[in-house]
Amino acid sequence: MAVESARLGPASGDERHADYAQAARRRRTLDLGKGIAAYTVLTLFAVIAVGPFLYLLSPSLRHSYDLFTFPPQWLPKSLYLGNFGAVLHQTSYVRWGINTLVFATSVTLLTLAIDTLAGYAFARMHFPGRGILFGLVVATLMIPTAAIVAPLYIIVSHLPSWTHAGVNTYPGMILPMVCSPLGVFMMRQFMSTLPEGLVEAARLDGASELQIFRKVVLPLMKPAVVVLGIFTFMMQWVNFLWPLAITTTDSMKTLTVGIASLQGQFVTNWGLISAAAVMTMGPIIVVFLIFQRWFVQASMAGALKQ
Amino acid sequence: MAEVLIKHLVKRFGKVEAVRDVSLRVADGEFLVLLGPSGCGKSTILRVVAGLEDADAGEIVIGERLVNFVDPVKRNVAMVFQNYALYPHMTVAKNIAFPLQIAKKPKAEIEAAVRRAAGILGLDDLLERLPGQLSGGQRQRVALARAIVREPHAFLMDEPLSNLDAQLRIQTRLELIQLHAQLGITTMYVTHDQVEAMTMGHRIAVMNHGVLQQIGTPQDVYRRPANVFVATFLGAPPMNMIDGALESVGGGWRFRGVDADVPLSPEVLSPPELRHEIEARGEVKLGLRPEHIRVGPPGHDGGIPGRVEFIEPVGSDIYLTVEAGGTTVQVRTDPDSPLRPGDNVTLMFDPWRVHVFGADGHNLRRDAPAVGSTLVQAAAAG
Repeated sequence: MAVESARLGPASGDERHADYAQAARRRRTLDLGKGIAAYTVLTLFAVIAVGPFLYLLSPSLRHSYDLFTFPPQWLPKSLYLGNFGAVLHQTSYVRWGINTLVFATSVTLLTLAIDTLAGYAFARMHFPGRGILFGLVVATLMIPTAAIVAPLYIIVSHLPSWTHAGVNTYPGMILPMVCSPLGVFMMRQFMSTLPEGLVEAARLDGASELQIFRKVVLPLMKPAVVVLGIFTFMMQWVNFLWPLAITTTDSMKTLTVGIASLQGQFVTNWGLISAAAVMTMGPIIVVFLIFQRWFVQASMAGALKQ
Repeated sequence: MAEVLIKHLVKRFGKVEAVRDVSLRVADGEFLVLLGPSGCGKSTILRVVAGLEDADAGEIVIGERLVNFVDPVKRNVAMVFQNYALYPHMTVAKNIAFPLQIAKKPKAEIEAAVRRAAGILGLDDLLERLPGQLSGGQRQRVALARAIVREPHAFLMDEPLSNLDAQLRIQTRLELIQLHAQLGITTMYVTHDQVEAMTMGHRIAVMNHGVLQQIGTPQDVYRRPANVFVATFLGAPPMNMIDGALESVGGGWRFRGVDADVPLSPEVLSPPELRHEIEARGEVKLGLRPEHIRVGPPGHDGGIPGRVEFIEPVGSDIYLTVEAGGTTVQVRTDPDSPLRPGDNVTLMFDPWRVHVFGADGHNLRRDAPAVGSTLVQAAAAG
C-alpha cells in the first residue's frame, strides 16, 4: 500500500501513516500464521518421535491386569512400580545389563581405536593400494548385517580355543562387531579436513607417525571421535541380531535379547517387558544428554576451520 | 648453519615434471629467494629439501651431507608454512616447545629455549594464548619461533607472508630481514611476490615451468634478465617487448619493427661475434623497462611514434599505456604529466638501456648472463 501510494504521487501525512499501520498489521498477521504453521509441524514430529516412548512408559507403570481394559487407558489411574521391581528380581536383568555394558563399551573403545587409526592411514599416509583398500572398506557399507550374521556365527563358532572367542563368550560377541566401515569413512573424511601442513610441520619437528597421530591429530579430532563413540555405543547398546545369534545361555544375553526372551509362548507380561525396555533406555538417554554438545561442535567444526 | 646444495634435481608428480634438472647453491648464511609464478616448482624444491617429498633424480646436500635418504627431522631444517601450521590445541609456549619435547630435551632446557625464542620474536606476553586468539602477524611470529627454537642448519620458508594483509606484510618483511641479520641462518625463501624477493634476498632464483631461469643478486636479475620470462616477470609494470628484426647497418645494428627503426648501441650488441647467431635466429624482441622510456612530442626523431590509450595515476608516478610499435607499451612517467588519452607522442629511450631477446627468448645483450651459467656454477661448487 505504502509503495503504491508513493508511486501514485504525494499523499497526505495521515494517509501515509494509515498505510504504514495497515502494512505493519498485515505483516504481524503473516508472522503469526507462519509461527502457527511451524509449531504445528514441529508438534506433529514431536508426537511421532515421543509417542511410542510414552506408549511404552504407560504400561510399565500399570498392573498387567490393567492393560487390556476397554476403552484403553492412556494414563494410569495410580502409579504401580512393581513391574520395575519384578524386572530386577524375577529376571536376570542385572546380569544382562552387565553383559550389555561390557559388550557396548568394549566394541566402542576398540572401534574408536581401529577407526581413528584406519582413518588417519587412509587420510594422511601414502601407501600403494590406498585407494582400492578404502574403496573396499566403503563397499562393505552396502552389506546388511543380517546377510553376514550366519557366516559370522560359523566363523566365530569354529575359532580355535586359544582365542577364547566362541559362542557365549565376550570376545566372540565383541570382536566381530569391532571396526565399523562407516566409522573409518567418517574418521577419514574428518581427518582430510585438517590442514596437511599440521602433519608435515609435526613430521619436520621430529614426531613419529604415532606421535603425530596422538599429539596433533587426535586432540583436534576430539568432537568427531566423541560423536563416533556415542553413535557406536548407542548402536551396540540396542544391537539385537548379533547378540541373539551368538548367545544361547541366559547368563550371556544382552538386554535386548533378554527382554525379547521375556515374551512367553502363551502368556506375555507386557508390564514387565515395558518396564525392562524403559530401564534399558535410561542409560542411553543419559549418555546422549551428557555428550550432546559435542554433536553440535562436530557439525560446526568444518565451518570454523580455516 | 650450513650450505645447501641442490644438484640436478628432478621431481615428477605422475606425468608432470614439477622440477626439471635444477641445480643451485645456497651459501652458508645466505638468504636465497625462490621466485616464480604459481606452479613453477619453487615450493616443490623447498619440500624436497625439507624431506617432505622425495627427489626422483639429483642430490640434496645440506652441510656437506647427502640427505636424499635422510628423514626430515634428521636433516635439521626448519620450515615455516604459508598457513603457519600451528597446532591449534596447544598454547604458544607449547607450540614453540613441541620440537624440543619430541626430541626429549630436559624440561629446564626447553623452558629456556622457549623463553629465548619468544624474546627474539616479541612473544613474551602471548605464551599462554592459543593460536586462535592471535592475529595473523602474531601467528606467523609463533611459527618462526617454533622454527628457530631448534637452532636448525637452514630455514625453509614457503610464502610465509602471503596470508597477511598489505600493511602487516611490509612490517613482517622487515622483521624477517632483521631476524636473518641477527641469526645468520641459511634461508631458502619461496615467494611469488617480486617485491619480497627484491627486498629480502641476497640472491634470487627465478623459476618457471620447473626450470631455473636465472639466479643472481636482485639488481643483477632486474638489470640483466637472462630471458624474456625473467624480464617480464620482474618489474611492475613489467618490461615492454616490441617485436621486430635486427639489421646490420654500417658495422652496427638497427632494430626494425612496426613504426620503429632505432639504432642500438654497441654496448648492447657486439656485431662481429653475434652476427651469425642473430641472423640465424631471425625475429627478435626489443625489451624496454617502463622507467627507461621518455615521452616526447609527436614527430620527434629517433623514437617510436605512439598514441596514449590509458592513464593510471598511482600517486608517485603515472603509468601510461601507449599503442606503439605494433603493441601495447607501458611507460612510467612524471605524476605532473599533462598527457591525456588520445594524445600522440613519441617514445624515446637511451640506446644502451635496451635489451634484445632472440627468437628462443634468451637475452642477446653482451652483459647478459650466459645460457646455463647457473648449472656451471653449481657443478663447480659441487
